[in-house]
Amino acid sequence: MLLAALSAKSQTTVTGLVTNGREPLAGANVFIIGTIDGCLTDSLGRFSFETSKQGELTLRVTFIGFDDYTLTTNQPRDLLIVMHERATSIDEVVVTASTYSFGKSDNFKTMDALDVVMTGNSCGDVVAALQALPGTQKVGENGKLYVRGGESDECQTFINGMHVLIPYSTNVEGQTQRGRFSPFLFKGINFSLGGYGGEYGQALSSVLPMETTDVATGDKLGVSASLVDWNFGGTKACQNSSLSFNADYTSMGLYNALFPDRCDWTRPYRKLSGEAQYKAGLSSVSVLKSYVGYDLTSVGQQTDGRCLSFKEHNVYANATVKTSIGRGYSLFSGIANSSVFNDVDDAQVLGDHYYNFRNEVHLKAELRKVFSSALKMSAGVEDYIRNSKTRYEAYQYHVDYNLLAVHLDAQWRIVPRLFLNLSDRAEHLSYANEWTLMPRATLSYVPNKWFQLSAMLGRYSQTAEDEYIARSGKHLPQSTADHAILSLQYNTAKTLLRIEPYYKRYHRLPLLADGIYSANGHGTSQGFDVFFESRSLVKNLTTTVSYSFNDSKRRYLDYTSLRTPDYASRHNLRLTAKYAVGKFIFGLAESYASSRRCPVGTTPYYNSLDANLTWLVSPKVIVYTSLNNISGRTNIFRYNADGTPVTATRDRFFYIGIFVSLKNNKAYDISNF
Amino acid sequence: MFAIALCLMASVSIHAQEPAQMQTLIGQSLSKLQQPTPEAFLNCIAELKRIDAMFPDSIQPKYQMALQSLNFSVMNPHAEQTENLLADAEQTVSKMEQMKSADPSDVCTLSGFLYMVRIVQNPAQNGQRYYLNVMQNFEKALKLNPNNELAKQLQQKFFEGMKQQMQK
Repeated sequence: MLLAALSAKSQTTVTGLVTNGREPLAGANVFIIGTIDGCLTDSLGRFSFETSKQGELTLRVTFIGFDDYTLTTNQPRDLLIVMHERATSIDEVVVTASTYSFGKSDNFKTMDALDVVMTGNSCGDVVAALQALPGTQKVGENGKLYVRGGESDECQTFINGMHVLIPYSTNVEGQTQRGRFSPFLFKGINFSLGGYGGEYGQALSSVLPMETTDVATGDKLGVSASLVDWNFGGTKACQNSSLSFNADYTSMGLYNALFPDRCDWTRPYRKLSGEAQYKAGLSSVSVLKSYVGYDLTSVGQQTDGRCLSFKEHNVYANATVKTSIGRGYSLFSGIANSSVFNDVDDAQVLGDHYYNFRNEVHLKAELRKVFSSALKMSAGVEDYIRNSKTRYEAYQYHVDYNLLAVHLDAQWRIVPRLFLNLSDRAEHLSYANEWTLMPRATLSYVPNKWFQLSAMLGRYSQTAEDEYIARSGKHLPQSTADHAILSLQYNTAKTLLRIEPYYKRYHRLPLLADGIYSANGHGTSQGFDVFFESRSLVKNLTTTVSYSFNDSKRRYLDYTSLRTPDYASRHNLRLTAKYAVGKFIFGLAESYASSRRCPVGTTPYYNSLDANLTWLVSPKVIVYTSLNNISGRTNIFRYNADGTPVTATRDRFFYIGIFVSLKNNKAYDISNF
Repeated sequence: MFAIALCLMASVSIHAQEPAQMQTLIGQSLSKLQQPTPEAFLNCIAELKRIDAMFPDSIQPKYQMALQSLNFSVMNPHAEQTENLLADAEQTVSKMEQMKSADPSDVCTLSGFLYMVRIVQNPAQNGQRYYLNVMQNFEKALKLNPNNELAKQLQQKFFEGMKQQMQK
């Protein structure tokens, strides 16, 4: 009893209250450092516990989202502890202004590639899926990405940080040019509509960086078939590496026979593709990713008394290594090669032949360092080595040049909740022997995880098309565009609202006057985008509203005075709904675009209502079907110079495909990669 | 899912190289989960955090902290403490990834479990989004250590859960 009494006497009682300065914090962990003596605060923020420690005590209080609190005291009773919210680390904040992210490259995202692909009329095409987003314009005659009043080639694609010279496969006018890459190749797709950092260049309007999936952990084998394409692929996973292949054959022959269209085909659209990926963990801190893809595309049609015939070979390969080199440094290096061969018979007149070859080697290295929770920096160097050849009857050109770029990026937390991204990019164009400097800045206010307000300013550049460079006698400097963007975003578990007004000013665009190309073109593009997504209306229903207003004017190419480009429409609206019930996922999409102005007239508005259905037949079988433009409205995209309207070759498009996993214990994994 | 947590409670592996005092403390702390009430879990996790503060370079307290946070979350997916515990578990797993002494198989198991809890929280929305992450992490965990019992059990439970979902 005496011992027990002595023991009881030697205990010290610690009591107090934990608050955040305004209200009590329930569930904070209060303890004496070096012991497990402690407790959790109650619902009123109070704590009380006993410790065997005597004399001076060092107390620690921890609570998620708050800085740890440490106190050394001799008077451990009635303590009042005020916790301070932890400032978001520079590594934790993801500034989303002007960027739409899909996939899981950054923690838990609101949408992934599968979500967008099953929405609307994408038919599994990344480019078509992205056109459900604000800022993009509906340009039906080719289906490419046109962003915020810019031309389609102002949007550039990057895979694992490496540039893709031609991301589309060729096709005739009135037929959608699909993107070359399956969305299921990628674990993350980041579509930036402008205002991006210094890492990316050679894009006046927007960039589409995509990150391929990691080393596969299991073997896969799968097939898919539809009325228009047939696919076979698989993956072999080893201890620390995986090798994947994919073969795809697309042909419109069967479809054209079943559902004839307005076009007189001499050879239906056909594409034969082969892809392979090798990914390996070289060590615990190094990852190698490599990709090689080849497409052979051909199509021919009877038009104006000639047999217009296209054939394209497109080879793309890249390899990247990411490695951590200690002390917070990481190194990225990569190489990519794009080669595209195009042959066109009866291109302009009967019996002529057009040949074009383009090649680009892209080399890149970047060093990244996290200095503290308030500062991280990166510096990189890259080189684009380009050459192209064209022959058309007696006319021919050969262009080769080198574009060297360096960039420096800093992301700095100025004060808690206020972040500044500063970057500078410099590019040297070999044939013009000219440096272009491009400072960029983004200031973001991120008061909590739901709200972001950002202001972006920056300069971007891009070389002109090779043909214009050649025809200018290699005198065309880089075109530049200045972006000013304001972005406001509110994002909760069930709602996403984003509003982004923007202004772009173009300088030194190529201008054709008196048969000579000069850099005297210029233009502006201004407007605003609104995106709203809701998951709260009905259980399992996701709805989106996407609206863009654009006012674009430019003097370039053969526009001798300022005018709205004929691809631009002022209003673009898309409404989508996706509803999951049991093994079925239904999707509806309504797209509207206001009229487009051409020199010979103004088109009617564009309208299309599309529906799709995904049926999860069994864990290894998925059926996907869609019908585009249900009403069958004949949409006129633009008018030719002779006044004939340019329309799609068919008003409706029906797609049905089946995806089967043959050797894969993962249900509903339609990716063979 | 409830059964998962119960079967995991027995999975207290003690690493021989860790200090004996720490092992004793962890054992004492986990023994309080014999009555697995939410309050017992929260107190146990808090104690494990204190042990982690005593042995900051050790893996075992971090592993147990993350595991018990996930156990609590899978049993109480919508409790008011769950989001904080999941955020904490995610940070802890990230810390473990940076530590050379961490068993990569254990790290993959915890990562897979984390995604699994997200699915339990909202099967309709997160099932489609995260099921591949769950399975790839468990597959990798078992490839790195075919004797990882926790990964085996979780993988088994996950397959059963998916099968049930598909039969609905």
